[in-house]
Amino acid sequence: MNQEFSIDNFREQTAWDWRIAFYLFLSGASGGLIFVEIVLRIFDVIGNSTAILGAWIGLGLATLSLFVLFTHLGAGRARWRAFYVFLNIRHSWISRGATIVTILMGLRFMFILPEIWHDLPWGEGTLAGSFLRGAIMLFALAFMAYSGLVLSWWKSIPFWNTFLLPVVCIGYSFLCGAAALPIIIIIVEGIDGLESTGSVLWPLLLVLIIINGLALFAYIKSKSSDDIAAQESIRRLTQGNSKRPWWIGVILIGLIVPLIIVSLASLNLIGSSDFASYVLITACGCIILGGYLLRYCVLRVGIYAKFI
Amino acid sequence: MTRWGMVIDLKRCIGCWACIVACKSENSTPPNIFWTKVLEREEGTYPDVRRLFLPIRCNHCLNPPCVEACPTNATYVRKEDNIVMMNSNKCIGCQACVIACPYDARYMYKDKKGYFGKELTPFEEVGYKQHEIGTIQKCNFNVDRIDKGLNPACVEACPTKTLNFGDFDDPESHVSKLKKTNESTQLRPELGADPSIFYLDAYRETAEVDG
Repeated sequence: MNQEFSIDNFREQTAWDWRIAFYLFLSGASGGLIFVEIVLRIFDVIGNSTAILGAWIGLGLATLSLFVLFTHLGAGRARWRAFYVFLNIRHSWISRGATIVTILMGLRFMFILPEIWHDLPWGEGTLAGSFLRGAIMLFALAFMAYSGLVLSWWKSIPFWNTFLLPVVCIGYSFLCGAAALPIIIIIVEGIDGLESTGSVLWPLLLVLIIINGLALFAYIKSKSSDDIAAQESIRRLTQGNSKRPWWIGVILIGLIVPLIIVSLASLNLIGSSDFASYVLITACGCIILGGYLLRYCVLRVGIYAKFI
Repeated sequence: MTRWGMVIDLKRCIGCWACIVACKSENSTPPNIFWTKVLEREEGTYPDVRRLFLPIRCNHCLNPPCVEACPTNATYVRKEDNIVMMNSNKCIGCQACVIACPYDARYMYKDKKGYFGKELTPFEEVGYKQHEIGTIQKCNFNVDRIDKGLNPACVEACPTKTLNFGDFDDPESHVSKLKKTNESTQLRPELGADPSIFYLDAYRETAEVDG
């Protein structure tokens, strides 16, 4: 009997592939970067030039995420109808996500403009600027949440259908955004900049890694006793065809290695040499890679609920 | 109001695939696209064995998750009779509906391949014109036939009267009576979609054999 026509066969979702994983990762990471960059700028942890480059990179990542989504759309004329995407904001999470990112990009772009035209009335330190900053943070948070809600909303795939998935996605968005900042700092300010901000950044990253590890554990644990399709998803994740990207990519490279390095940095045990800085930047790269692989694994093991 | 739907009597299905062939012929669906399918399962232990056939298609749900998922309103419910329809001219091929649908009823038309080699046959050439590459397609209960007062092609082709089509809002219809006088179930009712396809004896078959 052809497996496709078997009642007992687990139906794996194949509609959303690595491109959607990349889109969701970029959505979360761009929202996270924009949010973290604004917060750290408010507390004067990072300099203005770092914040501006962070804002541009955040905008670039959000734009790239939309481009990746565009490449995933149907071939031929279908994908060129993408502007219809705003038509069902009341119900569709794809619609809501497109709306959120459009507004976020518009607001963030507005916020950068006073750096170019200094006379604009919403510059840093003004009341209008503060409102704008608050709105940007709100939409960045919404964009991070969207990257999980777009999956968790539907009951068709039990492994995704839980409030813990958006929680994990928001957590990972913060983590990836925070991990991108040291890379930006080293580009703008060099190794000296990394040393001066390290006392805040490394403990922040350490806390985020631990929280995300716990959230991920809670998510997997809660699904291990759920619908049979969710249990099969976990089996494939931990023992099946996704075990390598999961154990090596998400857990080892994405969590354990950065946890060790960032812990050493937080305790000032890693030194301040050029080599130490590059090790720390590598740890940040590992976190970002883990963030992508998490979305990839979650999508890959999505299995529909059985008919009967 | 009208609520078109089906009552599928699983005791009668012999897995002949006449419904699939009729559907493919009526709608000229390309290879690997099945607006209706018949799934099967072997049950029991020798010598008490049997095969359960489960015809599936779009369930034309009253609360269709696909309609909620669609960002462009390309998927919509026809108000007068609750049929879930697709407007290819609005579909962007994001496949959110494919993810949201629990009933494996939606297919992406990816490329223009025919059944017989690289070239399309004249029949395929004409038939495929109604489908747009890069968009989603699904069962529409053969809406053109319904509007003419005919049954869907799959129902007409079924030799054992497994498939029964009618209006659930009419208490005197054949399907309403079948549903009322038999124990019926929807597929995964707990998912909340409220499908318009009801199955007779979906679970009892399994219980009897296993017992």
